[in-house]
Amino acid sequence: MSAKFVLALPSKGRLKEDCANMLAEAGLAITKSGSARGYKGTIVHVPEVEVNFVSSSEIAHFLKNGTAHVGVTGEDLLREAVPECADRLNLRAPCGFGYADVVVAVPAWWIDVQRMADLEELAMTFRRRHGRSIRVATKYMNLTQRFFAQHGVSGYRTVESLGATEGAPAAQLAELVVDITTTGATLRANDLRVLNDGVILRSQAHVVSSNAAPWSDHFRAIERELLEALARTKHPDLKSHPLNTRQTSNLNGERDAV
Amino acid sequence: MPREAAPKEPALAAQAERIMASFSRGGYEQIAMAVIQPAGPFLDSVGETLRARTYVFVDHHGQEVCLRPDLTIPTCRLHLARHPGGNTLARYCYHGLAFRYQPGGARPTHPTEFRQAGIESFAACDREKEDAAILSLTLEALREAGLEQTQLTIGDLGLFAALLCAIPMPARWRRRLWHHFWRRDSFRRVLMRLTSSEALKAHEMPRDLVGRLDPANPEAAEAIVIEYLERSGLTIYGTRTLPEMTERLLAAAADAREAPLELAAAALIDSLTLVRTPAPQAVRRVSELLRPHKIDIEPALVSFKRRLDLLDSHGVDTRQAQFSAVFGRSLEYYTGFVFQAVSPKLGATNPIASGGRYDGLLTDLGAPHPVPAIGSCIHTERLFAALHGDGP
Repeated sequence: MSAKFVLALPSKGRLKEDCANMLAEAGLAITKSGSARGYKGTIVHVPEVEVNFVSSSEIAHFLKNGTAHVGVTGEDLLREAVPECADRLNLRAPCGFGYADVVVAVPAWWIDVQRMADLEELAMTFRRRHGRSIRVATKYMNLTQRFFAQHGVSGYRTVESLGATEGAPAAQLAELVVDITTTGATLRANDLRVLNDGVILRSQAHVVSSNAAPWSDHFRAIERELLEALARTKHPDLKSHPLNTRQTSNLNGERDAV
Repeated sequence: MPREAAPKEPALAAQAERIMASFSRGGYEQIAMAVIQPAGPFLDSVGETLRARTYVFVDHHGQEVCLRPDLTIPTCRLHLARHPGGNTLARYCYHGLAFRYQPGGARPTHPTEFRQAGIESFAACDREKEDAAILSLTLEALREAGLEQTQLTIGDLGLFAALLCAIPMPARWRRRLWHHFWRRDSFRRVLMRLTSSEALKAHEMPRDLVGRLDPANPEAAEAIVIEYLERSGLTIYGTRTLPEMTERLLAAAADAREAPLELAAAALIDSLTLVRTPAPQAVRRVSELLRPHKIDIEPALVSFKRRLDLLDSHGVDTRQAQFSAVFGRSLEYYTGFVFQAVSPKLGATNPIASGGRYDGLLTDLGAPHPVPAIGSCIHTERLFAALHGDGP
């Protein structure tokens, strides 16, 4: 059993800065420690907490397998990496930053495709003409599969895309994409349009607890201390969220639907 | 739970030997196929949901491959490798491992790796004769292995296809209904939509454009669509072509003007999906349903009756078989006769053997023309459990 309470935080980019600001506001200043070249740290006022700085998608896996007790990462990454999200994780509170929508987008000139239902009809005619399925480029293979199944769309194939997904249709690597967008500017610049009912998830960063981590009463007390400190910050979402309920995730209900 | 090891293996091997001996006596050539198969053909015929239950991974060349979840598609691929046209008479049998991820954990009736013993027949033109031969040989192999009593369910997707052809409606509606047939909920939704002129007019495509398209004059449509795209500043790119999109826009224009499907016709389609009856009464029941509508699917019913007679002549007691009109709805590649055999001990959720006709699959896998094809396979671990006592 791990002797340390592990808090996993994003190691780079905008999410890292936003996290640092949020924690500083909560009075949880972090000092980098050790010889691990900046990938470990401690919280000054809560010395039992070991902070691990890892990539956002790695945080989802840390929480899934219990390597970390608490972490901060995007809901999109959590739902993609942990299909049984509601059992494995407690989404304690949204952070109010790291906003990104996961959407289904098609070439803008496909004026006959406005809704998910149109996609199933398109899949049928496309197959008759091309002898193969339409392809969806995405890094969200699981989210795509669940959302498409929910909308009764089945005649498609996913193509895993690990970068520049928005360019896949123009490069003829896929016919459409499931991608993240914040302002929609990148999609528009690539002549892509989001379907009218094509928003899979309105995601933002969340404070998340792992059910798979080795918990003790003492660690639960630390968790409570961290969450209460966060609740005192000016982040409105964190403040309003009921931290004492065990399952605060809005994924729980959705899980039944997919 | 660790899989039960040593003691079961020799008994399973002996059981397989008896099954395979039956298949060989029936004139089926024994073949073996690679365990690791390209994932594409499975994903194309079953859909992306396959991933949830199949071990799919990327090999060192970056190709998506899988541990074969069943042996029918590998058999088709082997047949096409030998006979690229597909249309050469061939009958194969096999016994080999298949792999399925079990989300609820592995059980004796739902193992993650198990052996299938099966037969597949290609390009036999007398379909009913081949249907009957495949089912009776499957039941004979089960008897050889020691299983005397099975409950048989049969279905015939050909009846449904014939009904769709007999009811007057545009060809695109038939294609749509057939396409949705395998999705129970969306099928009902699509069917109901066709009965309502409101619903047929409802779409979210640009109304000013669709309103200007004349379904009677498709040649003129493309120019109108191009002009609309240019005016809207939209550029055509990617693999999809303008004629494909124009076809769908024209279909929307045609739907908006089409007289809706009569409610009685929709009710008839729906009621056929609900027919369940002992097999000998199936023809009478279906005929009774059709008579008030003056709809005739005589050739399909004659085929059904002939198949039953052939089964009887093979010694299959069809009086004990159940007929379900939509049986076979679970696997999209079935096109005609379908069946499954259940043991009373394991129940309907754990069929011991199942199979059916899949006349469209070989073209999906690359054959230039449709090839008559039917297959059947025995879940050998379930058969063993039914004979030797492991409950489900």
